[in-house]
Amino acid sequence: MRVFTLQDLSRYNGRDGNLAYVAYRGLVYDVSGSYFFRGGRHWVRHNAGSDLSDEIDQAPHDESLLQRFPVVGSLTMVE
Amino acid sequence: MAKVAREMVERTGINVDELVELLISNASAELTTFYYYTILRVNLIGLEGEGIKEIAETARIEDRNHFEALVPRIYELGGKIPGNMNAFHDISACPPASLPENATDVKAILKVLVEAERCAVRGYTHICNLTAGKDHRTYDLALAILNEEVEHESWFSEFLGEGPSGHFMRRGETSPFVSKFLR
Repeated sequence: MRVFTLQDLSRYNGRDGNLAYVAYRGLVYDVSGSYFFRGGRHWVRHNAGSDLSDEIDQAPHDESLLQRFPVVGSLTMVE
Repeated sequence: MAKVAREMVERTGINVDELVELLISNASAELTTFYYYTILRVNLIGLEGEGIKEIAETARIEDRNHFEALVPRIYELGGKIPGNMNAFHDISACPPASLPENATDVKAILKVLVEAERCAVRGYTHICNLTAGKDHRTYDLALAILNEEVEHESWFSEFLGEGPSGHFMRRGETSPFVSKFLR
């Protein structure tokens, strides 16, 4: 499984033809096929290409919605 | 634009441009849902479908009311809805509530309806969380809409066999919570 740094992840921002990946609790999910991440943004405030762990923990849904999407790697905090 | 009203919200630290964008995308979800629910309601026929038609119609009318109630707040805060209907459709906060491939499958129609309501419940909870204790007017509006969306979800959920809703269908006027914004 591929290991992403935050910098690697930031390239998958869902904009300009890039795929949309988000990280949650150490795993990286490909949400490119999600209606909710069209254009790389979810409900205006949440951006693909980033670690959304804190934001999902405060979201009006649990992680099960994210877990419908394929895991493409893991996130490391080591640059 | 209601200049001081916007300023009051800005002073709370809320990013008003983001909030307006959220309100516009939810207004789009309401109007597009009104449209798609028209098609769903039309196809709720036969022994199974007819029993669900009335609550689908109530949800459809109330979603249109939500659109009507959201628009003034968008303009008060300095926003505007897109001039192009196609563009407006495409920014919807929720996926299209399209008719299932098998239009006679009442359970499939119910699943579309309940998923649309669940998206709305999440969306207005999100707006309530953002505005609580800060933007009182948007909070009041979002909470009123949320109250109705929760009821819609529970009606359709009950028909899907997920358990009792604890509610009865509307008696009297539609939009008991949102009507104060429509006067």
